[in-house]
Amino acid sequence: MNIRFNKPVKPLPPKPSRYGPDPEHIKTRACDLKNIVSVKVRDLFPDITESIYPSEKGVKAVREATVNALEKVDMNMIKPKDSVNILGSHHGFTILGGEPYAEMLKTIKDVIMDRTGAENIRLRVGVGLRFRESDEYIKRFGLDDYFNKRARGVAPIDEGIPIETEIGTLYGIKRCYDADWIVHAHNSDVREIHFHRHVDRAVKPFGMSYARLETRSTYHQNLGPRGANFVARAIFNSEFVQKKWTFATFLKPTPAGIAGVDADNDLFALDERLSIDNFRYYGKVLTLLSHIEDCIAVLDFQAPIPYVFSAGMIFANFSAASIDIFDLDYPLPGYTWYTEAFYGKNDKPLIPDISPVNPAVKAMVINYAWGGYPSVFWAKMIPTIVVGEWQADVFRRDPQNIEFMRHAVVAEDLEAAIEFAIKIADTDKIIVFDGAPGVINVSESLAEELVEKASEVDMEVEQKLLPKWCRQRGIKLEGYADVPAH
Amino acid sequence: MYAEVDVEKCTGCRVCEKVCPTLSINVVGEKKEKLAVVDLDTCAGCGACAERCQFEAVVLKTLDEPKVISVDPHSVDEEKIYELCVKASLHPEQIICYCTGTRAEEVAAAILMGASSPEEVSRMTGVRTGCKVECIQPILRLLKAAGIEPKPLKDGWQWYGITPTIWDIPEDVVKKYSARGFYFEEDRALFKKLLDTIKAGGE
Repeated sequence: MNIRFNKPVKPLPPKPSRYGPDPEHIKTRACDLKNIVSVKVRDLFPDITESIYPSEKGVKAVREATVNALEKVDMNMIKPKDSVNILGSHHGFTILGGEPYAEMLKTIKDVIMDRTGAENIRLRVGVGLRFRESDEYIKRFGLDDYFNKRARGVAPIDEGIPIETEIGTLYGIKRCYDADWIVHAHNSDVREIHFHRHVDRAVKPFGMSYARLETRSTYHQNLGPRGANFVARAIFNSEFVQKKWTFATFLKPTPAGIAGVDADNDLFALDERLSIDNFRYYGKVLTLLSHIEDCIAVLDFQAPIPYVFSAGMIFANFSAASIDIFDLDYPLPGYTWYTEAFYGKNDKPLIPDISPVNPAVKAMVINYAWGGYPSVFWAKMIPTIVVGEWQADVFRRDPQNIEFMRHAVVAEDLEAAIEFAIKIADTDKIIVFDGAPGVINVSESLAEELVEKASEVDMEVEQKLLPKWCRQRGIKLEGYADVPAH
Repeated sequence: MYAEVDVEKCTGCRVCEKVCPTLSINVVGEKKEKLAVVDLDTCAGCGACAERCQFEAVVLKTLDEPKVISVDPHSVDEEKIYELCVKASLHPEQIICYCTGTRAEEVAAAILMGASSPEEVSRMTGVRTGCKVECIQPILRLLKAAGIEPKPLKDGWQWYGITPTIWDIPEDVVKKYSARGFYFEEDRALFKKLLDTIKAGGE
């Protein structure tokens, strides 16, 4: 493969948030370091769908794609006097600055109003463990005004509602379900494969973003590393939810950008479509990254440690990729909460089935990241250097990371941190998780390694892994023979 | 950290009361005089009140001296701790609070020392005072294993109830969805292997 390396692509500027450091402090970005270059994802894997965003059309392309996708959706159940809750998640706003997702939400509202005459349309946006995060996005993108003061963030500690399911009572957030109808507006990228294992990916928010803490705890403590996401299916299939169900609309990112928008009344049909695309595109990127032999990971994005991006892949997935985390034959990825739970007091695994944190990550430099997610596990497992007291204070003041800085050191600036990391990691290969669109910002030495391995990975995924991943989930893949699921 | 109320902004709406995992913030006074008051002895600085107050009337402040909240499992009969954990299908060393690093044995010890509700467990061990989300079920499982079935607080949103575990999933559900990627049987085997290390005396 003959690929010319490009100048590094600048990530979006830091955003002010109660969960992160003051953007004023983030003066040097990882892409400013010498020897950093960018590799275009579509140069590595040319079959990845071309993006509609970023493009010359800007977010208009997302509006058009949403309108087109919704044309095939039935909205006849919504009557003019009915109330409708469009259910969203904070995740969508972390993709390429958040504007595409915000535009999709606005367009869904407009189309519902045009087609049904309904005016009482609300926006409810779920969160992870940073309960004000969605409120910050609602304000930033003017969604409150757009939804006539009917937009609000909802959190897992807000008032709940019991939902009877085929496995027993689970609990949703009452405000998500306080309308006649619900619309599920999400994003299709793989995100937390280590948690959901890409089983019912499209259904997950019913067990998480729209769910109370009891349900989320069931997911992460009660059902096991491969059965966890069943809480989402159980809630979605409940009579309570089905009575309110209308359709789903998903923003469709790829590792290269936004490929389009998909919509369907049948959530499981949509899930099958996005699963195949994700296995094919994100599967190739993650498999390639998992072939890296050693590297320093530099985190430089406005999100908590696990959710910083490189080529659309979150750091948690990379840190978990000591095994093929799409492959359900492996019970525990190198990182997931079940994995973390199964380390004993001596920080050694309690059973031999525990995969280590990706041993290729020899050091982690945190130039810019948020708190608001329990992250001490990474600091314990990977030598960690935090850039600046301002970034260290984010962790020190975070109730979810009270022990984090006991396991990390502070460097005065990014250059010093990298210099130290190279010494302890004994490698000059650097991968940057900065969310730069459509590229991976890496050191030249790592760029060469990625380019060298890409075509082999492409073949491995197409011929071997993709059929296996689909087969394990009962997903029929056109052009491949039917094989019993598992 | 601890919570501090801005008396100018507080409206006495009681949302902070409903979400506090250690019952450390209470609204006192009548009508226009209503005001949230923080009990600094029990406040763990989790920030639930600050994160949900719609009037931004609560802020987190740093304590002059850090406060350590924990129970020493060694102060309780080890056999009884193991018994309780096994009954709840938890390994004693299993982490159940990812924020505080609290393990099942410490929660079991708190229960054996008299904690009879998630709120009391939180006050003694610090669990539920990080993310406030992920650790409620193992706490309820350990309480149930001790024969305690606490009732949720009236009008409180702290928690509503115990939910199913992998061991409770009906066999027809296990069979029905195994071909769709839900590997319940294999995950049960994984948990069993973990629990078997206790019986084998492994650590």
